[in-house]
Amino acid sequence: MTELTLKINGEDVTADVEPRLSLADFVRDHRRLTGTHLGCEHGVCGACTVLMNGEPVRSCITFAVAADGTEITTIEGFDDDDPMTMLRQAFHENHALQCGYCTPGMLVAARDIVTRLPDADEDRVRLELAGNLCRCTGYVGIVNAILSVIEKRQA
Amino acid sequence: MADGGATDGKGIGARVLRKEDWRHLAGKAKFTGDFQRPGQKEMAFVRSDVAHARIVSVTKPAGFEDSVFTAADMPGMRPMRAPSKLPGYKGADYPALAIGKVRFVGEPVAVCVADTRAEAEDLAQATVVEYEELPAVVDMLDAKAPDAPRLHEDWDDNLVMETFADDDFSKIADRATVIVKREYRMARHAMNPMEGRAVFAEWDDRTDQLMMWTSTQVPHLIRTGLAEFLGLDQRQVRVIAPDVGGGFGCKALLQPEEVIAGWLTRHLEAPVRWIEDRREHLVTGANCREHHYFVTIHATPEGRILGLDCDVTIDAGAYSVYPFTNGLEGAMAHGNLPGPYDLEVYRCRTQTMTTNKPPLMPYRGVARPGVCYAMEMTIDALAREIGMESHLIRAMNMVKQEQLPFMSIAKKHFDSGNYPKSVEMVVDMIGLDKIRAEQAAAKDDSRLIGVGMGSYVEQTAHGTSVFASWGVAMVPGYEQATVRLTPDGGLELRIGVQSHGQGMETSMAQMAYEVLGIDPEKVMVTHGDTGLTPYSTGTYASRSMVMAGGATARACRVLAERMEIIAAHLLQCERAEVSVRGGKIVSGKGEVSFAEIGRVWYLNPDELPDDVDQGGVEVTMGYRPEPDSGAFTYASHACKVAVDIDTGKVKILDYAIVEDCGTIVNPMIVEGQTYGGATQGIGTALLEESTYDSFGNPGASTFADYMMPGATDAPHYRIDHMESPSPFTEYGIKGMGEGGTIPTPAAIGNAINDALKGIGAEVTETPFTPRRVLAAIAAATQNRQGDAA
Repeated sequence: MTELTLKINGEDVTADVEPRLSLADFVRDHRRLTGTHLGCEHGVCGACTVLMNGEPVRSCITFAVAADGTEITTIEGFDDDDPMTMLRQAFHENHALQCGYCTPGMLVAARDIVTRLPDADEDRVRLELAGNLCRCTGYVGIVNAILSVIEKRQA
Repeated sequence: MADGGATDGKGIGARVLRKEDWRHLAGKAKFTGDFQRPGQKEMAFVRSDVAHARIVSVTKPAGFEDSVFTAADMPGMRPMRAPSKLPGYKGADYPALAIGKVRFVGEPVAVCVADTRAEAEDLAQATVVEYEELPAVVDMLDAKAPDAPRLHEDWDDNLVMETFADDDFSKIADRATVIVKREYRMARHAMNPMEGRAVFAEWDDRTDQLMMWTSTQVPHLIRTGLAEFLGLDQRQVRVIAPDVGGGFGCKALLQPEEVIAGWLTRHLEAPVRWIEDRREHLVTGANCREHHYFVTIHATPEGRILGLDCDVTIDAGAYSVYPFTNGLEGAMAHGNLPGPYDLEVYRCRTQTMTTNKPPLMPYRGVARPGVCYAMEMTIDALAREIGMESHLIRAMNMVKQEQLPFMSIAKKHFDSGNYPKSVEMVVDMIGLDKIRAEQAAAKDDSRLIGVGMGSYVEQTAHGTSVFASWGVAMVPGYEQATVRLTPDGGLELRIGVQSHGQGMETSMAQMAYEVLGIDPEKVMVTHGDTGLTPYSTGTYASRSMVMAGGATARACRVLAERMEIIAAHLLQCERAEVSVRGGKIVSGKGEVSFAEIGRVWYLNPDELPDDVDQGGVEVTMGYRPEPDSGAFTYASHACKVAVDIDTGKVKILDYAIVEDCGTIVNPMIVEGQTYGGATQGIGTALLEESTYDSFGNPGASTFADYMMPGATDAPHYRIDHMESPSPFTEYGIKGMGEGGTIPTPAAIGNAINDALKGIGAEVTETPFTPRRVLAAIAAATQNRQGDAA
């Protein structure tokens, strides 16, 4: 077991974990933050995307112990975040989710896109989404939602 | 009489935003994998790593013998049995854990339980299975050879089922002087909902019930199956589908893991959980679409198609799945090959073969993406042969609006619409003339532009008579809905189908609004729980909006009548003077709110009239369209592609859709379903393939070697709607959840072949990967050189 100290959604957390435990299993099973979803467990589908020190990471292929000393933000930790508030509303209005399983990871990736690339066009948004799979929507609503937030943030 | 008074845009036809969105956006949805209980055990499986073998021995890790279970350790757990009454059908029992033999890579051999998934996987890894390998049947065509190995020792061959229709082609021989023959393949793939399968089970001693939360589309069928194969009374099983992360068909069947979890929780006296990982899904869930076709079209030189002759082979995998069997695909292929076309003669043989691969399951579109691809690709081959635009051939040969309702040559009862109009509209949308001009002017002969289309007609919400004719164990009947007024004037709506992305918590509330005028926000839709909802065969066959939506409307109408009786009494007027409108009961003398009705019925029944309906303000009604032969949605898709002939890479440049699903309840949801389905179709057409080597070993077990369509693969779709109500269903609604998947492989394949027509190359096997495109070009080049020599 390895001791681990980190901040999750602003809260200080200390835990003793097995070295092989993934960050995703840690937040889901140990912290009960089940909004982070596991879609492939090999770093391709992006459903498990969380922020580590403000940057998106795949929590399924990140060991919990590798998060020692970091600040992690899961989908549950964005309630006072303006870009996320706008994205949530935009996802709702643009029918950017159906089953909802990819949605938390998609939102975390989308937040990264709208904050890092304030001028991204449709092609760029699609390219940036290459690390997040959605099986339901055909990406139409997701792309439209992200573009609408980019536009609003420019205004 | 209730007319709802849908004046403020929340009923049928309104783009109501979804009620279910917020829990997902907040990360507060609850999927099966999110359940956790003190003392729970995790399951992990020892799965066969050979395709066909006798099990010689299973050696459990020392000290953990009580944590590893084989079929022999689980008395009372029966193999799943899915019989069919179709003539000659041979359905192999599907054991939840292998008994004596394994028949595909990934078949569960033993289950291991531990406190954590990691520890359970450790046990699975330490369990040693000794196999005596047998020759595997990997390819469905090889399976037909008289000397092919047998999967099932008690069978004479590997044939699951055969269907046959034969007309006399001699009557068209004089006129049908153009004969176009092609061979096609559609690859096996996996459905890949983003949430894999998952199950959480615990035994509730208080109710003497197996409680199972499972990621399913069909909770009531799972309950019936669990009871049958675990030897329980049905009252002892309650199945709940919480949030379900996509299904697409693979969650419409009973899974071995569900049966095993049900047995284990009872015998371990502990909750058990299993969450499928992606590798398990890609290996054990490589279960759909695999067809082979010989198609011959007999036509006149003017493009009139008179006859269709097909030989279809379907790869059904190793076992018959509960309850729909693996004969469904053959029956569907047989009935849907002629598509929307009016033919004189039809000959079709389907052969469904058993192979050492996972059991075939019905994937969104069920057989129709395959048959549409085979038919529509051959139509374009005919068009090239006679030098005519293929859309003219389609429009000429389609059943015409004035012929409807129409019994097709394959005995499908088409209801309403204008099929040729959808062709005309989509040809306009894609801009065929402009693309032809662009092709003519093209200077770059390494990047070829092509345009292609595909049309289909899709039977949806087909009911009792159709499923009974397929002979499956579970035939849908009258779909039921329960509505219950709450004491404060809200509405509870309970349906036995299950919503896993279709947005039924919203669209069903829109149906209630249409009748009662009650705000969808005040309607609580409950679905997916056998303890709370009427029995239903569940969500599949694009049936939920027609069937459960129709039942909802009927139940709401009866509720309205009952409320009107109470309201007339409260308003001191005649029954005929009141009507439900805008979420109230109104009359010339005043109005009564639903909350007032609720208060009187539940809390002040002393104010009720003598003639009150004693059934109260809770109503269950059943619904089945008459005839129940299905509501026929149709669509035409067209796309423009660029084919790089040096790399073989295909890029979709434009994609246009014209669809008609009858009366549209929520256009936003209809469009979302269509885009999503079409994107799955793009996966079928260009990317997705579960490959096997000659020993039956799967070659695609991660998303690195199984390609899913991403945001850059999906085009910016353009869509237009037609709206031809079905004369046979409530409000004229037709089902539409599956349709997007159906014509996509055909439209893309036709566009590629249009691009390659100057070279004389054709792709005929999905997915149209760069390798296959290059091979087609090479073959055409070789042919030309051969001709020249």
